[in-house]
Amino acid sequence: MIEVRQLSKHYGTRKAVDNISFTVGEGEIVGFLGPNGAGKTTTIRVLTCFHPATSGTARIAGHDVLSQSLAVRRVIGYLPESVPLYPEMRVREYLRFRGRLKGLDRAAREAAIARVVERCWLNDVIGRPIGQLSKGYRQRVGLADALLHNPKVLILDEPTVGLDPRQIRETRSLIKELAKDHTVMLSSHILHEVEATCERTIIINNGRIVASGSPHELRERVSGESKLIAEVKGPHDDVVASVRKLNGVTDLRSETQNGWVRLTLATSADVRESIFKLSTERGWSVRELRRDIASLEDYFVKIVAGTRDASE
Amino acid sequence: MRNVLAITQRELLSLFFSPIAYIVTAGFLLLTGVLVIVTDSIAPGKPATLREVFMWTPFVLTMILPAITMRMISEEYRSGTIESLMTAPVTDGQMVLGKYLASVGFYVVMLATTLVYLVILAIYGNPDFGAALAGYLGLFLLGLPFLAVGLFTSSLTRNQIVAWILATVPLMLLAWFAYYIVASVQGWLRVVLQQVNVMTRLEMFNRGLIVTDSVVFFLGSAALFVFLTIKIVESRRWR
Repeated sequence: MIEVRQLSKHYGTRKAVDNISFTVGEGEIVGFLGPNGAGKTTTIRVLTCFHPATSGTARIAGHDVLSQSLAVRRVIGYLPESVPLYPEMRVREYLRFRGRLKGLDRAAREAAIARVVERCWLNDVIGRPIGQLSKGYRQRVGLADALLHNPKVLILDEPTVGLDPRQIRETRSLIKELAKDHTVMLSSHILHEVEATCERTIIINNGRIVASGSPHELRERVSGESKLIAEVKGPHDDVVASVRKLNGVTDLRSETQNGWVRLTLATSADVRESIFKLSTERGWSVRELRRDIASLEDYFVKIVAGTRDASE
Repeated sequence: MRNVLAITQRELLSLFFSPIAYIVTAGFLLLTGVLVIVTDSIAPGKPATLREVFMWTPFVLTMILPAITMRMISEEYRSGTIESLMTAPVTDGQMVLGKYLASVGFYVVMLATTLVYLVILAIYGNPDFGAALAGYLGLFLLGLPFLAVGLFTSSLTRNQIVAWILATVPLMLLAWFAYYIVASVQGWLRVVLQQVNVMTRLEMFNRGLIVTDSVVFFLGSAALFVFLTIKIVESRRWR
């Protein structure tokens, strides 16, 4: 549905997006994750035909964003990051205006407005000027506008930024529901956001794609490097020496506190049982023994930090 | 065309929901009212004509018309609404044309409010309606390029005051300067000034003469600036 090939966008000498390629299949819901300034919005603006790419191509539903821009704009629903709206217009007026721009005739327009108002819980504010609405309502008006012409592809730039926790949850469940009959691409700099809503994540940093896959796959990649934490009571040097000898321990750090030895191990296998057995053999007490599986968060921070180091 | 009209309608709605429409109309009526008084147009014993008022109205228009168009595009850039507009299935040309039509529509309404002076003249005298009609046509045609220049400067900046100044100063120069210095220069400058001297062109209309080359000049220059506006809006995508 979305096909991006070797896309680059430069602002002057700065490379905002540097040679990225990815595809999004029909009916998929994909998260575009990256820290602020990573190039998410720039990429999205190329996809939505707001500005052209410096090089590379992008196709949406088979239409090229540059040469068939109007066709692309007809099949996408776009919620820009800042949710720009006309403050002097009333919600209904605004949706009517947008409906006309999107080529809906009067009957279709009114039906579409009724549908999106219902979906985005806008009934209470339909007659109010947009300038008076709270951030949460404005976000919903923006979303309602994006859904108005029932587009095949929905592109949402930071859809929950600035919302309160309850609204975030409502918006997330709405997006999940929308994914049933739309292809959705959403961007976020918050990992939980993407983890909670998306089937697949594309992580971008400094204009490059640094990783992509389902949250599960991404987590798999990190779990290989899990940490193990053990706290045992015994003579420090003896404990350290014998644990180091265990199969699967690749690195070990230790510290002593009130006779307890706290070990932080990097392991290539699960050695918890061996440590327990060793301790009982030697008569050491054990008060903590756990495996610290790296969270997606850690992974995200790590790759983002890693690519930053590499580029600087 | 449907897209153009959708933009036009929204633009008019915005104009009438903001104070600017009322301030502009009030200012225009006040200034033309002052003109009616100072030119002694409605006075016993004088010919029943608005010729002198029409003669001075362009000076008012140089300030008033850019105030109508100054926010039309600059505000879209400032508030970011340009993003939702440019990602909707509307061409840049349709967008600019829609906005331009809205400004023309507003100008027509504003101009129509001055018909009250003609009504007063008709009550107390016997004005030449043919000449008055030609005078109105002249003012309408003159407004077309003025509005197009205003829309053009509005596309250059995100600050509406800057847009207003950028349009008003050259228009004032055109309306005043060309009129007063055309006789005192020679050569090519004279030829150019004669062509762009809108006041002399307007004088013809006030006499009841509709001159084809003036009609072409007003329509053509308006079209030129609308076209340039479209090009500016298109080119801003590439930045």
